[in-house]
Amino acid sequence: MTSVETRLNSIISEFADLDGREKLELLLDFANRLPPLSATYLERKAIEDRRVHECQTPVFLWPEVIAGRARLVAEVAPEAPTVKGFVALLAEAIEDQPAAEAEGLPDDILERMGLAEVLGILRTRGLRSIVGHVKRGITRQFNAKI
Amino acid sequence: MAQYVHPEVLVTTEWVAEHAADPGVRIVESNEDRALYIQGHVPGAVEIDWQVDLQDQVRRDYIDRAGFEQLCRKYGISNNTTVVFYGDKNNWWACYAFWVFKLYGHPDCRIMNGGRKRWDLDGRAWSTDRVHPQQTSYVAPEQDASVRALRDEVLKHQKAGRALVDVRSPEEYSGQRLHMPDYPNEGALRGGHIPGAVNVPWVLSVNDDGTFKSAKELEKLYTKDSRLKRRSPTVAYCRIGERSSLTWFVLKYLLGFSNVRNYDGSWMEWGNCVGVPVVKGTEPSGGSEPHGVAEAAGASVPPAPVHA
Repeated sequence: MTSVETRLNSIISEFADLDGREKLELLLDFANRLPPLSATYLERKAIEDRRVHECQTPVFLWPEVIAGRARLVAEVAPEAPTVKGFVALLAEAIEDQPAAEAEGLPDDILERMGLAEVLGILRTRGLRSIVGHVKRGITRQFNAKI
Repeated sequence: MAQYVHPEVLVTTEWVAEHAADPGVRIVESNEDRALYIQGHVPGAVEIDWQVDLQDQVRRDYIDRAGFEQLCRKYGISNNTTVVFYGDKNNWWACYAFWVFKLYGHPDCRIMNGGRKRWDLDGRAWSTDRVHPQQTSYVAPEQDASVRALRDEVLKHQKAGRALVDVRSPEEYSGQRLHMPDYPNEGALRGGHIPGAVNVPWVLSVNDDGTFKSAKELEKLYTKDSRLKRRSPTVAYCRIGERSSLTWFVLKYLLGFSNVRNYDGSWMEWGNCVGVPVVKGTEPSGGSEPHGVAEAAGASVPPAPVHA
């Protein structure tokens, strides 16, 4: 098992036995832990096209590879705490892990957390597209640096 | 028109703060983002979710009559309860839930004008308490077909040259925007609009604080600029039927349209149907003119939602 999988499994197990309301409460804890953008990224936000256009609420993502290790810098509007919590969770799962492992983030995280039932089909689909977005971003950077 | 035709369906945040605990009143929050309710809700409000509570999880349809009765009983709603809906996103989902309640004939439904945004701007307190309503009894009638338009009805309506209002953004209406490059297309296979539909983006109906525009402004927008008529049968649609339930609410209750239905299948159905008419461009019949209604009204229209 890779280290990203181990981290992810541990996060998923935190959610496993909670009821729907508690799952959302825990997701809010993740949302509250997402750090605000640093001055560098605030500057970059102004000039780079980092908005995820699929999301109606403003979501800005920087999936990055630094010395072969992945990380995700993000800003999500406060009016979308579910998205913010999920992005924070992905960031925690891949932070400083080998980029090749982060590329392998599974697509069924929400189902395994039991959140898909709480959120419904359309929201789950929207969040899953964020996983794809992160993975593609990491792959692009990884390939560019090899 | 100096005031709304049915002003009683709109209540202020002040009214809600005063009446939320009344035994005959139930406040219901409906959001795009469910975690907002957990973060804080109007004291005493229950949450009804449009995807998980109001839609059937197997068929692509709403819960059936028995399911609706069960939902109302669970949330302490009786047939004579005044149900006040509010939510995020300019009350999109509040209007959607309101519409489903009207689909099942609930008599007294209202909207808290301005939704979560106005409650916040008014500096009112949020509660994180769990709400445990007392179970009620509830008996619902069969669905009221006068508020809902199904695909085949829309097709007949269109062929008869009747009024259609497409409330999506100008880019979605013209067919310019269907999905982003580099992303899977999760919506419809075809872009454009139903021939004859006028484009009145929903956003033109609301103020910055989430409240509805004045009767005078709404009348100008819908009956003068867009030439819709109060007594003509009218169908509203968007992508999945939520933005159009807001427009349906405006037309039916604020402007008093006598026959307006929401096509909840909307573009997610129409844009995937085989053999239905579709046109592209900024004009109702297709093609393009330099100025559409949205531009004339000087509006900035936000992009299309995807996870909404």
